[in-house]
Amino acid sequence: MAGVLVDSAEASALGTAAGLRRRRYLALVTGWVGFVAIWWLLSVWMDSDARLPSPGRVWDEVWIIFNGDPTNSRNDGGIFWNNFLASVIRVLLGFVVGVAMGTPLGFLMGRNRYWRAFLKSPVMIAGSIPGLTYAVMVLVVFGISFVGPVLAIGLISMPYIAINVAEGVGGVDKGLLNMSRSFGRSEKQMFRDVVVPSVLPFIFAGVRLSFSLAWKVGQLTEVFGASQGIGFQIRRNFQLFNMPAVIAWIGLFIIFMLVLERFVLVRIERKLFRWRQWEREG
Amino acid sequence: MAKVTVSKLAKLFPPPIKGGDVVRAITNIDFEVDGNVFVSIVGPSGCGKSTLLNILSGVDTPTSGSVTVTEAGKPAKLGYVFQDARLLPWRSVMDNMMYVRDDASEESVANAAKYLSMVGLDHTHEMFPGQLSGGMQQRVGIARAFSVEPDLLLMDEPFSHLDAMTARSLRDHLQDLWSRTRKTVLFVTHDVMEAVQLSDRIIVLAPGGVIYDDISIDLPHPRKASDPKVATLQAEILGQFENMQIPAVE
Repeated sequence: MAGVLVDSAEASALGTAAGLRRRRYLALVTGWVGFVAIWWLLSVWMDSDARLPSPGRVWDEVWIIFNGDPTNSRNDGGIFWNNFLASVIRVLLGFVVGVAMGTPLGFLMGRNRYWRAFLKSPVMIAGSIPGLTYAVMVLVVFGISFVGPVLAIGLISMPYIAINVAEGVGGVDKGLLNMSRSFGRSEKQMFRDVVVPSVLPFIFAGVRLSFSLAWKVGQLTEVFGASQGIGFQIRRNFQLFNMPAVIAWIGLFIIFMLVLERFVLVRIERKLFRWRQWEREG
Repeated sequence: MAKVTVSKLAKLFPPPIKGGDVVRAITNIDFEVDGNVFVSIVGPSGCGKSTLLNILSGVDTPTSGSVTVTEAGKPAKLGYVFQDARLLPWRSVMDNMMYVRDDASEESVANAAKYLSMVGLDHTHEMFPGQLSGGMQQRVGIARAFSVEPDLLLMDEPFSHLDAMTARSLRDHLQDLWSRTRKTVLFVTHDVMEAVQLSDRIIVLAPGGVIYDDISIDLPHPRKASDPKVATLQAEILGQFENMQIPAVE
């Protein structure tokens, strides 16, 4: 509880916790350094830029992606942001489509057992179709376009959102609804102040689950049918046998995903669901 | 000063298993409560106490008969305290108090704060329910019910989930709050001792939902659990229950 003084035994326990955290960071850094070292050794051993370029070579390529090629032999100057933004916009839009489709379906499934019976199988099937299928399907239907990838991303994330929302709506505390009714709250108030806050953590869990999936499908659709984006750049460089650039784009993609997950999603979650921290302890 | 009239009230529930008997929760009961009194409804589990309260609050409907709850001829305003606190876990204590109120004016906030202060929770306005103990949460629930300034306050075994010490302290809080506001209260409990300590009148229900006894208690408020007069009366009333037939299996 807030404002409670800690005694010396607890303080030393906290000290140990800080020590544990330090050791955890040390392990994390050692892991990364070890990974890069092994990569470097392997690249020296294989001695081929076309098969496994060294970390240094890839780093040069990252520099070129951001700043352009100093030798100017390739017209690639500073292409990062254009391609990066193209991918981000597609994924975010696709994701909005997924949430917009999945949330109402989830509400229907959670509130009404007939709708649940009706929708359960299609949603489950939609969730088990491989991302590649969606990528190919939208390419066939829409060709190389902006709509195709957005729709594919929407379709792949929709089932996860729908199932989570259904779970959340089914689990709304009946006691709180009864309480609201006996204090004369309207249906609108109950929806806004009881149902939505109960379901929000479930929507968020669905978002986190499907977000990385959405990215993967987004990249896949770009590989097949786009003229811009991280996926498109990976394919283009692959066709040019420019392995360092392929790895550089993949690396940038992974770093972006990690940053998004650790610093954006986790923070939003912590802020939005501050109250849950005490629920878990209690 | 709410007036509660219950006449020929019955409530049946469909059989819990296929081919079984209908469940008779309440069987033709009549009673009236009038004025600023604290009335307890006592009885063993399954005798229809909570059903009666649900019908009075409008959450449930009777099978036959009628209930009316009026205040000077108009429908009365109700407050409700539940077995568990039923606070919205994502809202602070103060926001929980405001949730059941219709306006968010400064006056309204001050009023909510006044009731929190009466149950000794001045320091908790910004805290979330998860940060409070079970007893403190229930105090918020009680303050919330009083703060809507109801004509009739319905309380459904509000202390049954708490440990004995906490329940005892909350009974004192409740008596204090009641003496200051003198609302009409219908208090459901299975604890005869609690009923004797708190109420002006005890309506005893027997299994099947029939009125077994209707007892007036004429002792001044507030009453201490340790008061010998209260203890004597408790023993006397408990003695009367020894003849009640309570089926072992419901």
